[in-house]
Amino acid sequence: MKWRTLLTVTGTAALAGGAFLYGRRASAAEPSPGPAPGQPAPGQPAPGPAPKIELPPLPGPADVKGDLSRNWGETPLDLRALFLLMEETSRIAGSARIFAGIAYRESRFVTTAHNGDAVGEQGERDASLRAYTNNRDNNPPLRYGEQAAAFGSGGLFGLLAPYFLWTGVPEVKASAPLLGAPPELMFQPRASAFAAAVYMQRILKNYRVDDIPDIKAGWASPTLLTTGRGGESYQDVRARFLADMKAVGIDLADATIPVRLDASSWPGVPAVFAGLVGALPKELA
Amino acid sequence: MTADLSCYGASVRGLAEVVADFDLRSPMDVLAWYRREWQSIADLLGFPQQFARVVPREGASRTAAMNQAGVEAFTAMLRAERPGVSANQARVQMAVLERMIAAGRERGELWRIVVDATTVPGGACYDDAGRSLRAFHADTAAGYFGAGWTGPPPRAESACGWQTPLVLHLGTFPWVYSSRLDGPGPGARWSSSDVLPAALGLQVAASLMDPATNLQQDARQVAAILDHFISHTAALTSRLPIYQSGQAELGKLHRRGGLLYVHQGSLHVAGLDGPRGRIAAPAYNYILRRFACFFAVRRAALRALATLPAEVQRGALTSSDPCLRQHAEEAARAA
Repeated sequence: MKWRTLLTVTGTAALAGGAFLYGRRASAAEPSPGPAPGQPAPGQPAPGPAPKIELPPLPGPADVKGDLSRNWGETPLDLRALFLLMEETSRIAGSARIFAGIAYRESRFVTTAHNGDAVGEQGERDASLRAYTNNRDNNPPLRYGEQAAAFGSGGLFGLLAPYFLWTGVPEVKASAPLLGAPPELMFQPRASAFAAAVYMQRILKNYRVDDIPDIKAGWASPTLLTTGRGGESYQDVRARFLADMKAVGIDLADATIPVRLDASSWPGVPAVFAGLVGALPKELA
Repeated sequence: MTADLSCYGASVRGLAEVVADFDLRSPMDVLAWYRREWQSIADLLGFPQQFARVVPREGASRTAAMNQAGVEAFTAMLRAERPGVSANQARVQMAVLERMIAAGRERGELWRIVVDATTVPGGACYDDAGRSLRAFHADTAAGYFGAGWTGPPPRAESACGWQTPLVLHLGTFPWVYSSRLDGPGPGARWSSSDVLPAALGLQVAASLMDPATNLQQDARQVAAILDHFISHTAALTSRLPIYQSGQAELGKLHRRGGLLYVHQGSLHVAGLDGPRGRIAAPAYNYILRRFACFFAVRRAALRALATLPAEVQRGALTSSDPCLRQHAEEAARAA
């Protein structure tokens, strides 16, 4: 499929960036060798097959207040309410269309996009293994950590599985809501949206973000907003993002999008999780 | 009277799964049915918020009021979006559409209208910086609505290169071209900042849900296009799993209630790939639903024929469509 090639080429940078961001926040320890992917850590029982989780369906027009017609370009009609719900729940005004542009790049709007399930995608599996082994000692345990390590990346926003499951740890520590969930949960768009909203908030709150394309640079790698600012990669990511927005048909100069996004009204991880995902089954919570 | 439409072919029977029947004599039934169908149109074409805000006007018949409200909501969406075509193109499209619709009404063929492009306003050409371009796609290759055109060329020479007739399938507006079902409906782009041919297009499609207009349309034309559509898509949809709650695969295309459905994913990025090209999943659902609505209204109108205006009854009795005539005669005898 087209998105797979695209993600293999372009998604890796974004996810490696996620690793850096996470590493800065959660890991000062040396990476430790872990068990083989898919195997339980020593002394830990295997979690068994993950229970089937059925999150609520995609939100619809009645679930949002904002406009679903103006300046959405070719964003799929049935995903617009999800992007808008992300904006309204996270209280980051103007972010809906930016999420749409990022989803276009990372998954071509395919909610079950998966990098790591094909023979040629070893790079993505390596990246998720590194993410897991480098960070697990400094983070709450993941019930399905070994599966996450072997998973690669995916979902609407092309997230690396371990980081997806650790979403919210810097903010709420061991109360982060996905610690007991399997990585496949990222294929449910509400869960993926939650992780992306948290990530957007972190970029906006912790880095110098001068304009909208800077968000995508930070999404690719936060180093591009610090030491890499102005460099070739920084410029490339920004240019690619602008081309993506043009391809989707979203006008960044339209009044629906502020010049800069602002996460100062962020309501907190639990509120965003409740607004986008709801609650997980008891056995996973 | 049973209002059995088997005289139009076997494909019609299969549509009952897609759109339920209703009773035109029941105001509640009419309101619920039209509201549901317009909601479905609004969802698939992207104007659910505008539709939620419109209120059907008092005074007109319920069906006319609902159709008018739906078109108004669609128009509001068109005005909120960026123009899809230039002002020149939109003006020509509007003039051509008006002429085609008049001709289609006269022939009882609004669903698919075929004209010689050189006989309509501007020759169906518009000016684009000194170049004369076709205002519509020349849609005469074999596609999902027909086997293609093999007839004679236009009678006059075309300034913009029309070599074939101009063919529009307004019954499935905005998917008006047999060979362009792979993305959003091309007709939805027919809008400039001041002229909205797209609104007229949807108005025609909606008019076929009006009982009187529905009975004027030659259903044999609709049935023939439906047969073609079904025969070229059945093999594609039969491979898909049937949706079962709790067992559906995430992000995969399923069949559900005769339509396509993606569980926890976007219908708008899904599609069917067939020998006549790709059909976007929303296009498939919308088109099938238009056929189903047409025949549901036809059944409802035939069941309630005795309660419809006298000129509508007379039109049915003198129709060139033997199936409709037979139903009308039965209704007259029973009255």
